[in-house]
Amino acid sequence: MSESSRIIVDGRLIPFEPGDSVALAVLRAGEHPHHGGTLCLAGDCPNCVCDVDGTAYVRTCQTPATPGLVVRRHPAVGAPALRPVPQPNVTRTPVLAEVAVRRHDADLVVIGAGESGIAAVGAAEASGRTVTMLDAGDGNEVVAIYSGPTVIVRRADAMVHIHAHDIVVATGAAELHPVCPGNMLIGIVTARAALAMHAAGIDLGNVVAVGEPPYGVPCSVVAGTLVRIEGADGIVTSVVTTDDGVETTTACTTLIIGLGLAGRDLLSRMAADDASVSLVGPAAQKFALPPCPTEGIVCPCSKVTVVDLQGVWDRGFQQLELVKRASLCGTGTCQGGVCGPYLRSFVSDRSGLTPEPFTARPASRQITLAEAAADVYTDVFRRSPLHDEHLALGAQLDRFGGWFRPWNYGDHVAEYWAVREAVSLGDVSTLGKLVVSGPDSVELLERLYPTTVADIKVGRSRYVLLLNERGHLIDDGMICRESETRFVLTFTSGGAANAEMWVRDWAETWGLRVHILDQTMSLAAINVTGPLASLLLQRVGLADPPKFLQHRHDVVAGVACHVMRLSFTGEASFELHHRADRSVELWRALMTAGRDLGIKPHGLQALFGLRLEKGHVIVGMDSEMDSTPTRLNMDWAVKMSKPDFLGKSALARIAELPNERRLFGFTIPGDAPTEGSPIWIGGSIVGHVASSFTSPLLGHGVMLGWIKHRPWPGDGGPDTVQIDGRTATVAEPPFYDPEGRRARS
Amino acid sequence: MLAPETLHGTRIVASPAALDAVDWPEGTTVLRFAPDDMFAIGLLDPDSISVADESAIVAAESGYVGCWLDHAGLAHVVAHIEWPLPIERPALAQGFVAGVPAKLYLVGTSALLLTNAPYADELWERLS
Repeated sequence: MSESSRIIVDGRLIPFEPGDSVALAVLRAGEHPHHGGTLCLAGDCPNCVCDVDGTAYVRTCQTPATPGLVVRRHPAVGAPALRPVPQPNVTRTPVLAEVAVRRHDADLVVIGAGESGIAAVGAAEASGRTVTMLDAGDGNEVVAIYSGPTVIVRRADAMVHIHAHDIVVATGAAELHPVCPGNMLIGIVTARAALAMHAAGIDLGNVVAVGEPPYGVPCSVVAGTLVRIEGADGIVTSVVTTDDGVETTTACTTLIIGLGLAGRDLLSRMAADDASVSLVGPAAQKFALPPCPTEGIVCPCSKVTVVDLQGVWDRGFQQLELVKRASLCGTGTCQGGVCGPYLRSFVSDRSGLTPEPFTARPASRQITLAEAAADVYTDVFRRSPLHDEHLALGAQLDRFGGWFRPWNYGDHVAEYWAVREAVSLGDVSTLGKLVVSGPDSVELLERLYPTTVADIKVGRSRYVLLLNERGHLIDDGMICRESETRFVLTFTSGGAANAEMWVRDWAETWGLRVHILDQTMSLAAINVTGPLASLLLQRVGLADPPKFLQHRHDVVAGVACHVMRLSFTGEASFELHHRADRSVELWRALMTAGRDLGIKPHGLQALFGLRLEKGHVIVGMDSEMDSTPTRLNMDWAVKMSKPDFLGKSALARIAELPNERRLFGFTIPGDAPTEGSPIWIGGSIVGHVASSFTSPLLGHGVMLGWIKHRPWPGDGGPDTVQIDGRTATVAEPPFYDPEGRRARS
Repeated sequence: MLAPETLHGTRIVASPAALDAVDWPEGTTVLRFAPDDMFAIGLLDPDSISVADESAIVAAESGYVGCWLDHAGLAHVVAHIEWPLPIERPALAQGFVAGVPAKLYLVGTSALLLTNAPYADELWERLS
């Protein structure tokens, strides 16, 4: 034997013969691939599963031994240890591309290359069908059938999805395992396993057979019914049978079990309602159930005993599916391949009714997560044109609103101060950007928004809420008027896609003459904010920056921009909307020009705090699914005197009802409590904190939070609440620059 | 294998009749995203065309990234889609490619694969 014909089992070299499976090689070495239990060597049971080359739960009886294969036994008790996984790079969406998927169409798929499978192929070909035969022995291991039908095949090189017109399942029958005391000892094999070992030249020692013996394997056949199996040091030493009430003990080192068969119908049961999937041969045969077990382990995968089943039954779980779920019998590696017949027999004995086999679900065999996830992609997160700039500046990126966005650049407090005292850049490329043009554009926007639109002058903009028919806030943003018939709308990053559909849908529903272009992903946007923002823009060519809520098209640092003056941070702010392919150029020019001004980029962590000091609401963070403007304390953004707008009638009705929830502002000494903290009044929870921030400027915590019980603060209720075990004071936002002088300066 | 680049051109949203009537300069590849929405690749000056719709939105477009695929490249991409390609040529197909929203403009045995720029890196990483 050459040195290359060895596998490594638990760190030790074990030789193998040509044609050996891993399990046979281990048995040839006088060992057991697991720690005991009946071996079938046919892929039906869990008693030979090992970790093979780093993959756990591999059926070693179905795994050819190859030189250098590294095998580790699973622990005798408990699950195998998980492999360490390297820390993922959170700035990148994981790509599960390790396992390829191939797709094929097929006329007829026959699963199983045994006698019934070959017969099915012959009959089908004789009738002119084109047949694809799949068998695990040929490297095509079928692990699932879905309605359709679709066959999922595991191959060494790929997962194969076959869309078949018809499927014939010809998977044969499995041998029954013994259920009795001692059935997890080493040395118990089924008749077929004994045949395989004998054929492989493995010395079985003193062999005794109970039940139908295998043909050609020298053994002593013991008559009677199996009672228990006895052993020492975990290895079989004798078997006890009974015949007419008389127990007989027979010494042995190998016990062959020939108790009968059960159809392998797991795959066909996965598509039981699909008429194009049929079952033939022994797999379709209705074999008699084994006698009801009285002692021993029924489920070798989960080590469920007869006592366990009885305990479940006594607690009221008295149907097959319930017993299975409550006891976990049938949920393990073999998916009921070993325990299923005994479980049905147990339920039949207790209930008097013989249940059908339980529901089967993919996968029939253990597949790796990579195999299960093959060709399944995680949600894609968009990257702004400045993605690499952010990374180069040390940004910690996170996923927000379908985009990778900078959370901070290492020091969110420094970023906060840059905004409050100097100048800072924020990447707002992710904002929704919609152009609406046409003779009916004013009509459309008047109907969509609760604010008046017709009176917005060209070159001016207005903050707007977007409500649904129920009067609930679904998004917010700005309206910028570019001409009498043309507007630019902005939306939140996370709400942009829905907002676009919302606007288009209503434009079509109302039959209005407008054109709509979504430029969310075509344009980038940089927010230049801070008391020195105007100075910075002047340095890069914007001699006369727009006034508050003005906007215009101009050139900044050589890049054509739509410049919008607004403020989310509470400081003077200019959004520069520009072609995405010019964004890096513009960003770098601004960073360079602002170097002596103390310019820093800011991430969402600082931005969330800055806007909270101003009391600005973030849709979806501070608002809830049924938040009306009144509940958000934003009635100032609604013009109920307008003839009509989406949600108006609902708001009018809601106004007649008692309002039982409202968003309030709070301050608290010291650090702000965690977002989501309960708000207490008089020992009762009355709401929760929606946003919180420890203000470096104010020196205390500021919050927005919901109170959902009356009486409210200022309306008969207390002006203080308890949050995080401390007293917080109700305070109307804004907490910072309430007159808004800095934003307008 | 795939070398994507920004696709510069002009985006026009206008009435279908007005789009049908546009006289495109030679060398322009025109993709009809929707009856009222076109992307004219290679048309770098939006003011150089006349659209008979006074409300038309005509804007420079550089928000798409793409590359031309030969037969082998297309076959590679097709392995990452679950929907059938249209049979007719030329044709514009839209759907997920490797789980990323993308479009395929099919001409003869070759195709232009394009996606919105924010998806581009992810798409090409998944295809590579």
